[in-house]
Amino acid sequence: MKYVKIALQIIILYLFVLVGDWLQSYFHLPLPGSIIGLLLMLAALSLKIIKLPWIESGSRALLSYLPIFFIPATVGVIDYGGVFTGKGILLIPLIVLSSFATMWVSGYVSQTIARKSKERIACK
Amino acid sequence: MQMIGISLGFVLMTVVFYLVTNALYFKYRRAFLVPAFASSFLIILILLMFRIPYDTYMLGGQWIERFLGPAIVALAIPLYKQRDLLRLHVLPVLGGIALGVFTGLFSGALFAQLFGFSQEIILTLLPKSITTPVAMEIAAGIGGIAPLSAVFVMIAGFTGVLFGPVFLRWTRIDTPLGRGLGLGTSAHALGTSKALELGEQEASMSSVAMTLSALFGSVMAPIVVWLFY
Repeated sequence: MKYVKIALQIIILYLFVLVGDWLQSYFHLPLPGSIIGLLLMLAALSLKIIKLPWIESGSRALLSYLPIFFIPATVGVIDYGGVFTGKGILLIPLIVLSSFATMWVSGYVSQTIARKSKERIACK
Repeated sequence: MQMIGISLGFVLMTVVFYLVTNALYFKYRRAFLVPAFASSFLIILILLMFRIPYDTYMLGGQWIERFLGPAIVALAIPLYKQRDLLRLHVLPVLGGIALGVFTGLFSGALFAQLFGFSQEIILTLLPKSITTPVAMEIAAGIGGIAPLSAVFVMIAGFTGVLFGPVFLRWTRIDTPLGRGLGLGTSAHALGTSKALELGEQEASMSSVAMTLSALFGSVMAPIVVWLFY
């Protein structure tokens, strides 16, 4: 029974992806269907159209296995091995460095503004 | 019939590798055992060893990938539960993400320019910190190679997964707000999967960062291109 419930809840989540995909192609939006689906789900929860218990166990099931869903796309690297030969190998440390810069700026800036505005929550 | 067998075989192989590396990761806590990384690595080894093309693997792989969409919608739940925290921090959230996205776009292009990479590679590299489907669209829009941009997105993602927590500790970014936004802005959904391990506040901040950086990125990428060329 528990698994039936999880499956049904995942179908609800999937419907949001389908609606998102449809909106994306119909209005030529710059966001992918899944992200539009996320925004719609957030709106539906906030407006109490969807209640948390209707989707919570399905969501928890998906999120606890989140990394597995990235594996197929990651394996796609196999077709682009040639890009990383010779000088191309430098692309890897370059992306790593640029990612650290991104992480530092967004983390540091947000943390500093939050501390300055003296909001206590989330600033232990 | 044979097609179904092959598909099922690859689904099963992926799930088993994931479960095994996941168990090992939780036992030994080594960065290189991070399941998405270790499993992909093993699968690539096997495909290379038996000369199996990626398209054949994807007969099964596509069934796993299909769940990525609903999983991203599911990120609305931690986001919704932490809405009060977000409301309190509108300014730091928006400011941190906007500057972070700009840094990601600009520094990637700048470094690649310094090392003399071709314009096509630079344009492909530009959206690397943004979630895969959006990054591919941005890359295609500005003249890069969309499928290759997905590869760069993965490298950025694994930077966050493998080194993110250590880097954040080292740079004293220690609030749930800063850690979540740092991971989500630099490493999109993969960073968010790491943020889920750190806590619900981190996870919600990271999903906000992932979503907003996709939005900001599609607007800012053409501007950065214009700055460079």
